[in-house]
Amino acid sequence: MIEFEALKANSLEEALDILAEKKKEVRMVAGGTDMLVQIHHESDDLKGMEYLLDISSIPGLDLIEDNNEYLKIGALCTHSEIMDSVLVNEKFPILKKAAEVIGSTQIRNRGTVGGNINNASPAADLVTALIALDASVVLHSKHGKRELSLSEFITGPYMTDRYEDEILTEVKVPYIQGEYFDCYQKVKRRQAVAIARINLAVITKLKDNKFDDIRIAFGSATPTAMRFREIEAELEGSDLNKIDYDKLADETGQAMVNITGERWSTPYKRPVVGNLLKRALQSIVKEVQ
Amino acid sequence: MEEVNVTLTVNGKEHDLNVAADERLLDTLRDRLHLTGVKEGCSIGECGACTVILDGKAVNSCMVYTFQIDGSEVLTVEGLETNGKLDPLQEAFIDHQAVQCGFCTPGMLMSAKALLKENPDPDREEIKTAIEGNLCRCTGYQQIVDAIESVVKKDGSE
Repeated sequence: MIEFEALKANSLEEALDILAEKKKEVRMVAGGTDMLVQIHHESDDLKGMEYLLDISSIPGLDLIEDNNEYLKIGALCTHSEIMDSVLVNEKFPILKKAAEVIGSTQIRNRGTVGGNINNASPAADLVTALIALDASVVLHSKHGKRELSLSEFITGPYMTDRYEDEILTEVKVPYIQGEYFDCYQKVKRRQAVAIARINLAVITKLKDNKFDDIRIAFGSATPTAMRFREIEAELEGSDLNKIDYDKLADETGQAMVNITGERWSTPYKRPVVGNLLKRALQSIVKEVQ
Repeated sequence: MEEVNVTLTVNGKEHDLNVAADERLLDTLRDRLHLTGVKEGCSIGECGACTVILDGKAVNSCMVYTFQIDGSEVLTVEGLETNGKLDPLQEAFIDHQAVQCGFCTPGMLMSAKALLKENPDPDREEIKTAIEGNLCRCTGYQQIVDAIESVVKKDGSE
């Protein structure tokens, strides 16, 4: 059994002081939907943990705000709050689509954006959509704050660039101009409370039936969720009615294998990532026509 | 292990408690307050048997530490009846034979209750989404969804 002492921060300053002082021995908890499972399973990742710092009551970190150039999503926003946010729906409907396939109602009511990112699971549903949207994260420590792109922040499966004295406070999603279409796909073993085998976020504009600023991000296909830029480049400017979607699907599968190498899951994932992209693009085409 | 003092309102009654750091809301409800309608199934948020309503939202009580929720309000299945009368949802579960072994029932009821509090007129798909985090290995869900739907319809015709 893992033994630990409970700490509770009522302000960001208080939390940062605790982290600065105790660093390695502290783990943070907000919604708890990952942390309590890890504690239950006595995960090796928790070795050396002496304190569990509850940050769920820190005021101001659960807001979703329009900041002119970007949408600011507080790290303590729950998945349910993202789904219900008028601002999110208006600016980035794909985030709602990603949030609503996470876990179950109970999990969405507790799990937070900050937790989803910091847990850094390659299968995290929100992360894939945020990567497609070029989101960045803001981290605070006692010594100040820094901002970096989400794709730089998540450095590997379950690994981030967060220093031990830092708290992820907000996610910034830069606004995009014009009319975008989107599609979110998730392959899973069952309908609910399912971890993505693969997830995919596609957003694009269309100019005279041609893909414009198309972004394609896969989760759970590569060690961290990432944009498939080669495939994006191939599609950019192409007429949606003149694309050989089967060829594109093959190339997408190959693009994944080029990154991961042949793995035990490759015979399954190679065709599935390709077909998933094909399905997503065709659903966008259908929506347009 | 140092204890933490918290105040919780459970089924309308206030409790002042000193809890250990690793005491989950599930443990507090079952072991301290003897509200054993709250069930422990998987302990990792997959089965929903421990579902309660925390500050208006359905949550898995196995995934919340009690020390985190000082000042909160909790509703469990024991708090559903009023003046000795079962909640319409409970009546509907009986009428539709939506209960077999009964282990999932309290969690199902709380997920359904949370849904109806937020959305008094859900359609069948919304009902299914509301209970997607609650496993039932007996009924096949049909009767449960029917039961919840019947309460919605009843409300609509009043």
